[in-house]
Amino acid sequence: MTLNVEANPYAPQVACLSRVIAETPTIKTFCFDLDEPLAFRAGQFVQLGVPGLGEGPFTPSSSPLTPEHLEVTVLRTGEVTERLHRMQAGDACLLRGPYGKGFPVEKLEGKDVLVVGGGVGLAPLRALIYQLLSMTDRLGRVVIKNGARETAELLFRRQYDEWASHKNVSMEITIDKAEPGWTGNVGVVTTILENVPNEVDVRNCYAFTCGPEIMLKFATQKLLEKGLTAEQIYLSMNRRMSCGIGKCGRCNIGPYYLCKDGPDICYAKIKDYPNVFP
Amino acid sequence: MRSIYVSTEEGLAHLLGAVQADEVYAAVRRERGPEYCNLRARPEAEPALREPRPSASPKAFLQPATERVAVYSATGVDAERSCPACGRRALVGLRACDLVAIEYLDKVFRGGDVADPFYEARRTSELLISVDCVAVHENCFCTAVGGRPFAESGFDLNITPLEEGYLVEVGSERGQEVIDRAGDAVCPATDEDLRRRDARREASLEQLRQQTGDWRVSDRIQEALLAKDEAKAWGEEAAKCVECAACTFICPTCHCFYLYDQVGGGEEFERVRTWDSCILGDYHRMAGPAGAKPSPRPGLRTRFANRMLHKYAFSPMQYGLLGCTGCGRCIEACYGQIDIRDVLRGFEE
Repeated sequence: MTLNVEANPYAPQVACLSRVIAETPTIKTFCFDLDEPLAFRAGQFVQLGVPGLGEGPFTPSSSPLTPEHLEVTVLRTGEVTERLHRMQAGDACLLRGPYGKGFPVEKLEGKDVLVVGGGVGLAPLRALIYQLLSMTDRLGRVVIKNGARETAELLFRRQYDEWASHKNVSMEITIDKAEPGWTGNVGVVTTILENVPNEVDVRNCYAFTCGPEIMLKFATQKLLEKGLTAEQIYLSMNRRMSCGIGKCGRCNIGPYYLCKDGPDICYAKIKDYPNVFP
Repeated sequence: MRSIYVSTEEGLAHLLGAVQADEVYAAVRRERGPEYCNLRARPEAEPALREPRPSASPKAFLQPATERVAVYSATGVDAERSCPACGRRALVGLRACDLVAIEYLDKVFRGGDVADPFYEARRTSELLISVDCVAVHENCFCTAVGGRPFAESGFDLNITPLEEGYLVEVGSERGQEVIDRAGDAVCPATDEDLRRRDARREASLEQLRQQTGDWRVSDRIQEALLAKDEAKAWGEEAAKCVECAACTFICPTCHCFYLYDQVGGGEEFERVRTWDSCILGDYHRMAGPAGAKPSPRPGLRTRFANRMLHKYAFSPMQYGLLGCTGCGRCIEACYGQIDIRDVLRGFEE
């Protein structure tokens, strides 16, 4: 389904929520069972909105392989997301999209893949993870790293064991501060990137990362330090976007618009332009 | 060869009367300078074709400051009321720089993977009648950015004001139709008329030479702008900026917009598009906890730099055109007395 894009790219489609999943104290997943499947590539985003209030760019967290069932995972952090978090099954939302290029999955055959998430940043990456899990026979190793402030904020925790049970897939998690009963790593997500050269072939891999901009900055630095090149690092950056089609102007990094040329963009493309990171 | 005609003062009024449009917006004489006005509603208004360009650019006729782009309810979109609606309109008195701006806006709104249907509807229904600048505004610097004070393409009709009467050049079939309807208000131009036009154009170029000299914004500007150390530079320029965004609103190529939703009455909602500006603090701001206000360009100097970079470095990469036509409107609009010519010259030193 292409949501009215042909006729009017700014007109939203009204879609009713089929289910809302409380993932963490601050994150919920909004599920839609669509009459017509919304075909998207992992990493492409939709504009999800509240009638009469507005919309925001979110990359679906569901599998691109099941486009009739769309899930969008949202952190409660502003006006629109606050209202979304108060919504229930049956409530009407607004949808437009999909927009952007998505992750370059076609480049991954025979490569190791490193997926680095931070906080709600694991949401867009889950669409990629579903895709990767469906093609492990054509990939090298898949290494997933994820961090959160605290255990309660570990997103999709119920799925980690299942992901790691796939052949050649490993998963490592960290929390920012120690908690009673936690035996895993403590520290920001870069602390679990130290061992990357032993986990993937740094010359034959791609890394995909999504999280708060400050985390993207330090994760990128760490990956470069560990031997990856800028060409091998993709950042998923859903900055403020309004139109979604490269016209409204606000999401630029250099001559690129993240809505149209991203939101998952190769670090090599943008690294020499101003304001890549805060 | 293009069809070129001459007309008298009266003949030109006749010609404009022959335009088949519901609205004919022309820059007309006003005490405070030329302004656009609908000649169909005010037939007594006198087109200001011999004055310098108006302070307002014609951008708002192609991309209005606010515009409803969708009507919807909780059950769906009202398709009929979410479609572009546009009557027949003619714009009279556009300058060569305005046509360059329209070429730029065409690349933004008609180009790319998805065209903007609202812009497209206006663009296809609007007749463009340009006029040579026989008087040059003191802030004009079109020749420094590859322009000239007269147009050679991009119009339906182009008018050259002569000492007496006008020379009218046809640029499209639609333009020719106007000429055909105008009957004996116009007659074919002679070689002598064309020589008079060339002399007028040379005189305008000479005026520009006197105020901008041989200054040209060179290809080096891209490199120079990108090399500028943002942390240190821009501070002096940005310190003068009062963040009013007038420069971006008056600019004929600035096209940033924002979509917002509002209650439209009853059970209905509207989505509205409104002009926005990269100079404003909220422009890039993302959702976040109060106080955090995450933004990739929190400081005014980074926003000021981004505006300059977009015009002179990124636009050529994106669209093959500078995002500046040299109209100089931002100079008279600026409350901080920032002269973009000085900012640019600063890089070339």
